[in-house]
Amino acid sequence: MIEPANAATSGGSQRRMRAALLRYLPLLLLALAWEVGARSGLVSTLALPPLSTVAAAWVDLLKDGELVSNGAASLWRTGAGLALAIAVGAALGIFMAWWRPVNVLLSPLVEIFYPMPKSALIPVTVLWLGFGNGSKILLIFLGCMLPVTIGAFNGARSSEQALVWSARSMGANRLRMLWDVVVPSAMPELLNGIRTALALSFILLVSSELIAAREGLGYLIGFLGASGTYDAMFAVVLTVALLGFIADRIYLVLMQRMLRWRE
Amino acid sequence: MVQAQIVIAGVSHCYRPPSGRPVLALEDVTLDVRGREFVALLGPSGCGKSTLLYLIGGFLPTETGKILIEGKPIAAPGPDRGIVFQHFALFPWKTVRGNVLYGLERMGLPREERQQRAQSFIDLVGLSGFEDSYPSQLSGGMRQRTALARTLAFDPKILLMDEPFGALDAQTRGLMQSELLSIWQRTPKTVIFVTHDVQEAVYLADRVAVMSARPGRIKAIVDTKFDKSDPAIFRNKGFTDKVDEIWNLVRIEAIKAQTGRTS
Amino acid sequence: MPGGPLAELAREPSAYRWLRTAGWGFARVFSLVALAVAWELAARSGAFTPYMLPALSAVLQRIWSDLIAGDLLLNTGETLYRAFTGFLIGAVAGIALGMGISRNRFTHWFFDPIISVGFPMPKIAFLPVVMLWLGVYDMSKITMIAVEAIFPVVTATIVGIRGVERELLWSARNMGATERELLWQIALPAALPQIITGLQVALPIALIVAIVTEMFMGGYGLGGAMNTASRFADSRGVFAGIVEIAVIGYALVKGVMLVRRRLLLWHQEALAPSTV
Repeated sequence: MIEPANAATSGGSQRRMRAALLRYLPLLLLALAWEVGARSGLVSTLALPPLSTVAAAWVDLLKDGELVSNGAASLWRTGAGLALAIAVGAALGIFMAWWRPVNVLLSPLVEIFYPMPKSALIPVTVLWLGFGNGSKILLIFLGCMLPVTIGAFNGARSSEQALVWSARSMGANRLRMLWDVVVPSAMPELLNGIRTALALSFILLVSSELIAAREGLGYLIGFLGASGTYDAMFAVVLTVALLGFIADRIYLVLMQRMLRWRE
Repeated sequence: MVQAQIVIAGVSHCYRPPSGRPVLALEDVTLDVRGREFVALLGPSGCGKSTLLYLIGGFLPTETGKILIEGKPIAAPGPDRGIVFQHFALFPWKTVRGNVLYGLERMGLPREERQQRAQSFIDLVGLSGFEDSYPSQLSGGMRQRTALARTLAFDPKILLMDEPFGALDAQTRGLMQSELLSIWQRTPKTVIFVTHDVQEAVYLADRVAVMSARPGRIKAIVDTKFDKSDPAIFRNKGFTDKVDEIWNLVRIEAIKAQTGRTS
Repeated sequence: MPGGPLAELAREPSAYRWLRTAGWGFARVFSLVALAVAWELAARSGAFTPYMLPALSAVLQRIWSDLIAGDLLLNTGETLYRAFTGFLIGAVAGIALGMGISRNRFTHWFFDPIISVGFPMPKIAFLPVVMLWLGVYDMSKITMIAVEAIFPVVTATIVGIRGVERELLWSARNMGATERELLWQIALPAALPQIITGLQVALPIALIVAIVTEMFMGGYGLGGAMNTASRFADSRGVFAGIVEIAVIGYALVKGVMLVRRRLLLWHQEALAPSTV
């Protein structure tokens, strides 16, 4: 049986860099295989443009501003929608954990709407707010709220009874207790819920921009695909995918920093 | 002179965790075990007694020194050395009968015989009527009996027991100890029994090998063979003297293990 | 969300437990009814146009007529067919890949970055690429679904197999099990709870992706129908779609939970001990 991959033992940053390189080497090999395979004539260069052509197209898109303007639109939508989802979702989750009647009323609804594929909301947001920013922000807000709520709820409920009681005995009023005890212990679960929401926001963004938009990275992909400039299309597809990955990684670093500080 | 069934000579073992410094668990351990003898390995926590057991069982590779079973070095785990773990290690998705049958299936016996054999061992450990129960339905004592039945069923020459009653409550433990003794007297095997409980060791074993604190070494070997059929044996003077003698040997090591823990 | 860890639930006397479950069932119905009433009242109040918020009654009527016309069943069937096919492919491939990665050093090295980098990516962005390669019919939809579904299954399988207690494996080796037998007879069953959790995550994902691909490509299926409704500004159709999809999503998740309970009977028995 294979043992789990070992973390680097002793030996400083050079060793760690080598380990990282070795770890991601398969991706490099895939990239190489792509380039070679595309140029070999085995597949039509229309269906699989060589990686170098895609890279060149990416640079072009950057230069003529298409990538930046559409990217900005997409990121703005995601950011706004996510911020709203986090603010409202976390507040909702904590209130549900804190006041029983709210929990009894809303828990069933959360349970019922959580399994609903949020992409079903795309047409209705378009119906209400059209093809622009508003519908995307609303979609991401509604779609990403529940994971945050559930994370906040579970996290708040796990705050140790002992902590709550001792805070209460020290005379902290309810609101103070909320801030000093419940919120910090809810952090790990809440932060995990936000991580899920982050990934979901990208999915909803891309989906809605592919289907109904006038600008944005998803729209750009569709546009380039329809006009047959596949190398540029690949370039934007990879950009979006990488953005999702980078966002998750940055969030992980932030999350670890936040949790360490709380400790 | 009859050669001992198990010969352990100059065995050392280094434990290498994935992160941190390697730790010397055992140092130059030498022990001879005769056939059908009941030997207890006694020592404070962390002294390496379980490690020694795993080496004999072939679950860890012997790097320094040698371990011979009937004159031949061990290569891998095998049905000649049956092991019983502290936390039972039962297959949770199999019933009691299923667990006991597992070892028998590998013996190449015809179906009828397998079933009969499994049943007889289930009866032997007193679990008649629970053949179709799952481990999660059983109490700790019953689970350990299942583990015992499972190991005895494939008739190993040597029985390796790793603090098998450590996870049980005191009353069940006492019951299991006398049951083990009566089973052993009926179907004599070589037993190597790891424990940190001095009374248990003196009660069950013919000889007690006292181990030092880490790195583990055989500090002393005390003869504890006497008539165990007396129901009031725990109050018998000969018995309690033996317990005191051994406890004195262990106490120093236990203290060393405790203080050594800070390093 | 019912409160308290499962263990606590088991220690309560069964009458009390029944009351709790009944209480929650009642709360669920009550909240739903409250929501429905609120919807209906809000729609009739005149604060919203019938375009923006069609009345619940109108939407339900629409669902009913779709059902009679056979459209609902046709579309639902299409969507579920694609979702399940993609899910099954992803599940089988995911478990196989997970087992291979756990067993083989090279496979582990090769796929580890692909999985860890691919997981947080919005893989739906690759839909136009998949369409380019595989056309506009079911094949591309199912492929996209399978690609998305595979990730949680592989991850869960790897975690599950890695988490198998060493003593279980040692006991089996003690009894003479070969490497192959260890993998199939011990590691896989021991990892099953974790694997099923992965499958439970993958199935809703399969449904989401099915709907999105249908919305993008049009045609039959619940997503396609909603897209058409949206194009024709048919707000009742859009809301009907939301309700239908919500119901299916809920039923799916509940169904999977039931299946899990049956498969992991031996696990659940921990709640009903029969000790001596």
